[in-house]
Amino acid sequence: MSYSTFNRKHFDSTKEPMFFGENVNVARYDQQKHPIFEKLIEKQLSFFWRPEEVDLSTDRKDFQRLEAHEQHIFLSNLKYQTLLDSVQGRSPNVAFLPIVSLPELETWIETWSFSETIHSRSYTHIIRNIVNDPSKIFDDIVNNEEITKRADSVSIYYDRLIEMVNIYNTMGTGTFTIPGKGEITVSMAALKKALYLTIASVNVLEAIRFYVSFACSFGFAERTLMEGNAKIIKLIARDEALHLTGTQHMLNLMASGKDDPEMALIAAECQDEVRNIFIEAAEQEKEWAAYLFKDGSMIGLNAQILGQYVEYITNVRMQAVGLEAHFATKNNPIPWINAWLVSDNVQVAPQEAEISSYLVGQTDNSLDDSDFDDFDL
Amino acid sequence: MIPISMTSTSNSADKDTNPVLHKVTLGERFLMVSEDEPLLVQLERAGITVEYQCREGYCSSCSIKLLKGTVVYLSEPLAWIHDGHLLACCAIVKSDIDIALY
Ligand code: FES
Ligand SMILES: [Fe+2]
Ligand SMILES: [Fe+2]
Repeated sequence: MSYSTFNRKHFDSTKEPMFFGENVNVARYDQQKHPIFEKLIEKQLSFFWRPEEVDLSTDRKDFQRLEAHEQHIFLSNLKYQTLLDSVQGRSPNVAFLPIVSLPELETWIETWSFSETIHSRSYTHIIRNIVNDPSKIFDDIVNNEEITKRADSVSIYYDRLIEMVNIYNTMGTGTFTIPGKGEITVSMAALKKALYLTIASVNVLEAIRFYVSFACSFGFAERTLMEGNAKIIKLIARDEALHLTGTQHMLNLMASGKDDPEMALIAAECQDEVRNIFIEAAEQEKEWAAYLFKDGSMIGLNAQILGQYVEYITNVRMQAVGLEAHFATKNNPIPWINAWLVSDNVQVAPQEAEISSYLVGQTDNSLDDSDFDDFDL
Repeated sequence: MIPISMTSTSNSADKDTNPVLHKVTLGERFLMVSEDEPLLVQLERAGITVEYQCREGYCSSCSIKLLKGTVVYLSEPLAWIHDGHLLACCAIVKSDIDIALY
């Protein structure tokens, strides 16, 4: 029940469920129940990058030349991403580490969350480079209503799970009256349900909520604007594509019953709720696109196109966790985005910006106009 | 379950002289593909758009339905592959197959 940093019991961790079994004791990877999580760790480590490697000097000039409504689009997206990575840089650790039972999964959670701290640091790097007073932008994240609305949606499931696990770890199961919150019933089924919904909401966060912002960043870069930013976003997007696979594995393993038979029942019971988490997030992201473009669109992108893209990507993500697609949209309205989302090891895009080695220190921030010849918005 | 081959591709001498081709049926359409490259690039060359992101087997964006036939992967992809599906970016077609896009 109460968490131990080094569980003294003797047990075979390959027989434990992913969560809510024994607390992990020895961080050993010689025997693994789900080797996929160690593969994710290796891949994530191979992706390692530092924001300082990307030269943003040209972005500063570009930013000053953007029209006011384009600056609004750019900065609002940065604020939203800063919020998302603030949450992701801590929450997997705080929410999942106290309840995880497999060493390989524990280490994946830590590796995953660590990579989010790189994302957070990269936003400070970007903002420092484009404005004189970064605090104006950061301070607005907790004031701006459009952002704080989204903060509620992305943290609600995490916070609920953390609260229930705290109670469970101190009091065990039962019904408790919590000052200011009223009665809370903590049972193993309720804990597992809270966990399942949290993982679904994290999948949505990483697999859908980032993509409006990604599209705008790459939309600017297609016009050879804010290219340093686009290089950073490309690295972030590559990490996020791996993270979403992590939560897809957790959800699919749970639903399959192969990990914990009780979890399969909970997954089946939660199916409609999970569908709604996806659909609600998609609607919120469409509203976000409308907020971004309230004062004007950018070339090649407007609220309607982005809304269709949100629907399209939501369908892809729902199917990846075994749900029926919800939206009628069948085609990607901005197929050019995929050339930016492709892994760096595969050079398919002419506009592929190079990522320098840290030994060189900074990347060449200029691209030839000819690099964009093939592109049409 | 889709069999996953962990070995590298077959005998290349054979391939050069006599490439193995398989028929890929997609609804009313079909095309011939080789075992030399993953399915995705060959679909793209035939003008068929399939969603993709990483093109490296870790994001699951290129998952499509495999209704009939066999594909293999040169190394096991990191993305989850649902029963009856394949990852187009890294699947090597090993028999005539029927597929469906979403
Ligand atoms: S494109 Fe990412 S798994 Fe195929
Ligand atoms: Fe992130
Ligand atoms: Fe992430």
